[in-house]
Amino acid sequence: MLDAFVQGLVVIFEWQTFLMMLLGIFLGFWVGLLPGLGGATTLALMLPFIYKMNPVEAFAFLLGMHSVTATTGDITSVLFGVPGEGSTAATILDGHAMAKKGEAGRALGAALMSSLVGALIGAFALALAIPVVRPLVLTFGAPELFMLAVVGIAFISSLSGQGGRALLRGFLAGLLGLLVSLVGQDPQGGVQRFTFGQLYLWSGLDLVPVLVGLFAIPEIMDLAVRGTSIAGEISEKNLNRGVWQGVKDTFHHFWLTVRCSLVGTFIGILPGLGGGVAQWIAYGHATQSARDSTERSGFGKGDVRGVLGPGAANNSKEGGSLIPTIAFGVPGSSSMAILLGAFFLQGIIPGPDMLDKHLVLTFSMVWTMVVANVITVAVSLVFLNQLAKLTMIRGSILIPFILLLAFIGAYTSNNHVGDLLVFLIFGLVGYVMIRCGWPRAPLVLGFVLGKIAENNFYISTIRYSGAWLHRPVVLVLLAITLVVVTYPFLQMRERKSQIDEAIA
Amino acid sequence: MRKANAVTLFFAFLLVPFLAYGAGYYEGKTLTIVVGYKPGGGYDSYARLIAKHLPKYLPGNPTIVIQSMPGANSIIGANHLYGAAKPDGLTIGTFNNGLVIAQLTRVEGVSYDLTKLSWIGSLANDAAVLTVRTDLPFKTVDDLRKAKEPVIIGATGPGSSTFDFPALLKEFAGINVKIIPGYSSSADVMLAIERKEVDGRAGSYASILPFIERGLVRPLVRTRVSVPEIEKLPVDEDLATSARGKAILAIRSTPEAIYRPYAAPPGTPPEVVKILREAFAKVTQDKELLADAKKGKLPVDYVSAEESLKLVREVLKQPPEVVQEIAKYIRFGD
Repeated sequence: MLDAFVQGLVVIFEWQTFLMMLLGIFLGFWVGLLPGLGGATTLALMLPFIYKMNPVEAFAFLLGMHSVTATTGDITSVLFGVPGEGSTAATILDGHAMAKKGEAGRALGAALMSSLVGALIGAFALALAIPVVRPLVLTFGAPELFMLAVVGIAFISSLSGQGGRALLRGFLAGLLGLLVSLVGQDPQGGVQRFTFGQLYLWSGLDLVPVLVGLFAIPEIMDLAVRGTSIAGEISEKNLNRGVWQGVKDTFHHFWLTVRCSLVGTFIGILPGLGGGVAQWIAYGHATQSARDSTERSGFGKGDVRGVLGPGAANNSKEGGSLIPTIAFGVPGSSSMAILLGAFFLQGIIPGPDMLDKHLVLTFSMVWTMVVANVITVAVSLVFLNQLAKLTMIRGSILIPFILLLAFIGAYTSNNHVGDLLVFLIFGLVGYVMIRCGWPRAPLVLGFVLGKIAENNFYISTIRYSGAWLHRPVVLVLLAITLVVVTYPFLQMRERKSQIDEAIA
Repeated sequence: MRKANAVTLFFAFLLVPFLAYGAGYYEGKTLTIVVGYKPGGGYDSYARLIAKHLPKYLPGNPTIVIQSMPGANSIIGANHLYGAAKPDGLTIGTFNNGLVIAQLTRVEGVSYDLTKLSWIGSLANDAAVLTVRTDLPFKTVDDLRKAKEPVIIGATGPGSSTFDFPALLKEFAGINVKIIPGYSSSADVMLAIERKEVDGRAGSYASILPFIERGLVRPLVRTRVSVPEIEKLPVDEDLATSARGKAILAIRSTPEAIYRPYAAPPGTPPEVVKILREAFAKVTQDKELLADAKKGKLPVDYVSAEESLKLVREVLKQPPEVVQEIAKYIRFGD
């Protein structure tokens, strides 16, 4: 085992393999930056090139590319408020808010460093999990997945603002999200729900146009209305100091970063939860780290912890999602489904063999993710200060480019004009929500978790009738749900008593 | 002199089609393959396989690009191919083989007519199989019929073979199963089998093969398209207890003979269609393509355009009362 662990590192430093990985990293860097190009699509495009490679080279190339897209996707999210990848949208809330305060450098530093920590933890979790991976994945059946979705939805209480009114708004936004997730054909009866006779809506709304609309359009409008640069009137000198500060922030809030990395890994391991979920739960958890109400109200306005949480989680989930793919031959995400095709092309059948006969290859994949992220972050750190200067450019020059990126990003998800309509409609929804002080995060959470909750609830009930409610993991998750739901209230009470004490 | 000119002109006109569609028709041009799905799935993999090897069999070695047009289980792509794509031989497309059933049962949103497309053929056929876990005592279809408790079959949803095939077997062959739809993909159903949440699944033989080879599940019944390794399995329509059931099962599985269909828009010049058909016939014999296909676990078995169209017509010629029956049991979906 240890032997294979070391061997796995040695093989990726053979020069052909290393070269392939560098090529992959280079491609992945751009794929992550550009909102239109998704990690999954690019993997599919690159598959034909691996016919001639050996397995270690092929996976160094593909995983090198794939594992940096989430890292560089954060850069676009922070700078322009346009999610570079579907899985980097949560970084916008605080990351872009920081950029608007002139702290783009700091936000980028934090995003990249937390991405690195996340990637490392995800990769090592993968390495550590190898002996126990089968029982771990098999414990989570439909009832457990349903309860996990419920835990996720419960985070709405943390993602809403404070006070009764804000909570109500949060819940309503969450319900709207659940409603939006219902669009499409239901898998039980085959009934078309909210499709209005449109073929485009059969398979439901896509994550990317919804997210890009919800987040990018309000930012673009805001920029246009303000008529300044993204960072406003901040002098360039301030801007440049930030990157190291961001790196230091990561270590200042190290345990938060670690916890969010673990959240990401765990969600990645469970197939069917999808890449959109991890970042939001991590964000919700990050907001819980606020010690008092002034700190809590700073989230969404540029708290660095709101960058660290999702930044770490969206990288660590990649290590996690490799686990079901290699251990069972069952992909944990759409990217992994394509990677599975790569296994076949290489004549390898993923499954128990990967933890035994092909263990060196498995560990080389772990190491590829580690090394690729180290290289990307090291290279990016050099350029970050330059990138941060983009936030100094006058809005009127920048807006056409951002708008173009956003439109292309939305359109490439289905190459259908419907994508643009969805993008614009959700843009309007996002703008109205911001103007009226409604939180957007609960809507997204409801949207990404709605279908998972519905389908797994159905499967659980049909399969086990009521008996699934007694399963131990279900009960544990139920307890966690209660804690998550009541946490903001407990926090409020504690604070109140502290204030009372101070007064007395 | 003048007469000679006229004769030359006349022959030149005769030659135009040959100049236009002959030697260099595709020279410097781009051939687009419209795929009704997102990148990464089976239809996309086959299209990329073809895109890699087809150019050398087309006059002028064109560049081939893939255009993904996902949505509504490829109805959007097929509608585009039928109604919007230019019939100049520079656009061809591939779509779900089950679209013929969607046309038969008049699914809302279908605007194509498969019989009017300029067919090129199909790259592969496939059989659907019903499999159950090897650790369960069910070894034959009869065992499934006699099962005391219903055997639990995981599925994605109506409109896919994971759902429709066992549902029809339950209805018309009397097997004792309970179908649980709602899994997000057929891979997800496979994982549910691993954790013993469900007892089995149905689906295309090619996609379940790795799990059969690994000894996780065993196939019990197949559809009419014969694949060598499972030739001896009973065929679904022979198990039907009524003539009506037999007919409906047969119609459901007929399109599987043209599992990866390719066609050009209606009205594509016959000369170009001929070029494409010949190129497909040749490329599916190409050694390099077959080697790549074998690696990617993409079985290749070319079915000619005439044969494809014949099968399409066979499905579509059902009398209205049969169509009504089919629509009751098979809901084309996403």
